[in-house]
Amino acid sequence: MSVPNVGVLGVGQTPYVNRRTDVTFPELVREGAQLALADAGVTIDDVDAVVFPLAPDALTGTGNGERWCIEALGAAGKPFMRVNNGGATGMSAIIAAWTHVASGEFDVVLVAGAERVSESGSAQSVLNKMWDVGYERPIPLNTITMLALSAVRYMHLHGSDETDMARVTVKNRRHAALNPLAHLRDEVTIEDVLASRTLAWPIKLGDACPSSTGAAGAVLVSERYARANGLDPAWIRGVGQNTETFWMGDRVGPKALQDHGDADALATAFKRAYGQAGLTDPTTQIDVAEIYAPFSSVELHVIEAAGLCGLGESPTRLAKGEFALGAPGPVVNPSGGVLCSNPIAVTGVARLAEATLQVQGRAGAHQVPGARTAVASAIGGDHQFYSTLVLSSDLEDIA
Amino acid sequence: MSTTTPTTPAGPKFYEQTWDLSYKHALGETTSRFLGALTEGKILGRRCPVCERVIVPARSFCDRDHCATTDWVEVGTTGVIEMFTVVYEPFKNLPAPPYALAYATLEGADTALVGYVRGLDLSDQKTAVAALAVGTPVVVKFSDSPTGTAADYWFEPAAGAN
Amino acid sequence: MPPGTDPPAPRPRVAVLAIRREATAREEDRSLEEMIFEVAHDTLADAGLSQATVGGVVLSGNDQSDGRVISCMTSAGPAGGVDSDVTMIASSGEHALAYGWLRLRSGQGDTVLVIGWGKPSEGVNPDYAELVSAEPYVLRAVGMNDTIAAALQASRWTDPATAGDTATVSWPLTADDLPRRGDVVVAAVLAVEGTFSPGRELAWVRGAGWSTENYELGARDVGAQTALDQALAHLARGADSAPAPSTWDSVEIAAPSEPAAARAAGKLGLPTHATVNGSGSLHERLAPAHIAGLDRLLAAAGSVGPGTGTAAGVGFNGFAGQGATVMVFGAPGTKEGVA
Ligand SMILES: [Zn+2]
Repeated sequence: MSVPNVGVLGVGQTPYVNRRTDVTFPELVREGAQLALADAGVTIDDVDAVVFPLAPDALTGTGNGERWCIEALGAAGKPFMRVNNGGATGMSAIIAAWTHVASGEFDVVLVAGAERVSESGSAQSVLNKMWDVGYERPIPLNTITMLALSAVRYMHLHGSDETDMARVTVKNRRHAALNPLAHLRDEVTIEDVLASRTLAWPIKLGDACPSSTGAAGAVLVSERYARANGLDPAWIRGVGQNTETFWMGDRVGPKALQDHGDADALATAFKRAYGQAGLTDPTTQIDVAEIYAPFSSVELHVIEAAGLCGLGESPTRLAKGEFALGAPGPVVNPSGGVLCSNPIAVTGVARLAEATLQVQGRAGAHQVPGARTAVASAIGGDHQFYSTLVLSSDLEDIA
Repeated sequence: MSTTTPTTPAGPKFYEQTWDLSYKHALGETTSRFLGALTEGKILGRRCPVCERVIVPARSFCDRDHCATTDWVEVGTTGVIEMFTVVYEPFKNLPAPPYALAYATLEGADTALVGYVRGLDLSDQKTAVAALAVGTPVVVKFSDSPTGTAADYWFEPAAGAN
Repeated sequence: MPPGTDPPAPRPRVAVLAIRREATAREEDRSLEEMIFEVAHDTLADAGLSQATVGGVVLSGNDQSDGRVISCMTSAGPAGGVDSDVTMIASSGEHALAYGWLRLRSGQGDTVLVIGWGKPSEGVNPDYAELVSAEPYVLRAVGMNDTIAAALQASRWTDPATAGDTATVSWPLTADDLPRRGDVVVAAVLAVEGTFSPGRELAWVRGAGWSTENYELGARDVGAQTALDQALAHLARGADSAPAPSTWDSVEIAAPSEPAAARAAGKLGLPTHATVNGSGSLHERLAPAHIAGLDRLLAAAGSVGPGTGTAAGVGFNGFAGQGATVMVFGAPGTKEGVA
């Protein structure tokens, strides 16, 4: 069967901040849902099903916290399910909602969720409990160290340095300064980033995302629903997911399928989405990339996995000023990206939301002029679960 | 019933909760043997019959080929660093920094093993990072008072490595 | 806004090619990941598939029960997910099966492995692990868990004057009324018609419906099991005309308690010959709560065949059955399965 067209009728995001003490978790979820529904011009009564993104329960402090949010969403009586693919959760939930619509069972599907990681007093020790019970728990691995290891490997493979990482931060902070919803909005210099304190070498505070509180949502619709109602949504043209081994130590050496320093398995996910979308040349056909990179080092290899430049080339391309607002060619993370706002459970939803605003020309001060085609991605687990999608402003062939 | 305006203050309140969940995880025969071998100063792997990788630490199945591993292989206690980090940031309920972690491929293994790297002065970042560079030879050290966990081994730079 | 008018393009029929279940009261010799690997491997093999050929994997586990903060990380590989499309549906095991069905109906691959697990024997206090599912402000303070919620629900149907004094766990429920945890892994392979040899199927999926009610026990009539009514309504309005409960030969129900299962069976309007929970009572058939529904759905799928033309599985999830899922299965053979 041919791939059904699924539209993004509306998106919503709250501002991303350190903490919100004025609302409960369900109330925060409701804010994101209401923003998305209002943007779509529909109400919860029009919604046929709900997909809820929620990553580790332990960070919000309530087991199966999705069930607690039904009242706040007004979703009682609707088909409802929750996705948890770690950091990829938000985009996996979007792809799950896409699947709901593409199956022909539903016309209007709401994705809505929120994150308030600030309520967890010990996030990195909670996140140590994601490692293997027999072999890894005694070692203080966490989400920062696992990507510091990857960064070291990338530097080793491609001869890059800490300044190359810092350039990513400088670019994204400049973008975030133009995005009123972003969490970290102060511009920084390369020197600022290099002088910031080391968390886990080579990752410094300036290379790291914040822990953000916020909500995001999206409304996906079927093509027949859009046509019947004369609607003009953005269109999801292709989706692709992939998974690699959990064992980081299996991602090195001559017999490894993927290198922990690169993002080969993510490249496969992008290729799946591009194939579905009929996108053949990412370097010329993509206007905007909203890609998941919680540390500056990650953006380097995700740009390459997305096919926006060759393996190991992103540092020199960034040094030339490419991938930034105002430069020709694809712009990477015009919103400031995950590096400037990371509301874990909905970070992937935010990538879709930003991509949607871009292809519809609604991104305001951080708009990429004339953007029509965008790619978005997310990463979960220990650089393990990958979700990607291609979005465009209409249903014309991508050229 | 009548409408009423609460007289209690509206300011934000907090409710402290701790999840106190305890587990006794079954490790299975393969992991148990690996941990047991640490007390004898040995590092064990398992060979996959399909990709023929010697997988370390030992696992009972290969996730790439989705098949059971078949043979035990004792690998060497020397190897090289494949990736590393030095942690300088304190994380709540994790060890006090600084500490170094590395993945090293041991002699005869096809995958890398994670462990602490000890026996290094980490106070000067530049020196520490240089001493841990990818490709640096390391040796595995074993605890004199083993606990039966993966904390019973660690890496140290091989003599004359730097 | 009005719904779309033009009918959606026809979607492929989906069959169940393989079902596996491994259940034991307490598995101490193998890790959770080893149990998952063995069941996933054997289920794929039963379907003539392998990790390399399956079109996707849908997981369902529970982080608190597993003691793994993002439990899909260590389980995706053993489940056959390396180099594949993996999605963890964390709300409930039966949602994972419904999602596997949606995946194939949406054209995402020809086959999918759905696998759910629970190994509560590793939890030192699984009742407490359920308590953290209570929202922190009110319900947690009163010590809510699945058992207490089930008892509150059953109290809606129990007359204290005639109930007797046999309750041993939480009035009005006895241990025999309640589901029994165990170390369980269940899995199934679903496949699109035309991608396997006819006759290889164990059952056809004839439709699915699911719904979730409000969370607060005081914000719904916990005795009414409204989520089941809503799930049945969803089933009835599905793209394919699923067989109505009045035609089901067999139904497998996972419920918070035996009274809840009996109540649910009663409201279905089954034919008189229909079998209810032929695979065993809640107390007999080991299943951790979050995959009990998936287990019963697959038990229903596995029960179709000679004499059982249509079977349905019903699962509830959340406190006092906040959510409900129904999936209907038709016997193998092309004629019987035609929608
Ligand atoms: Zn292998």
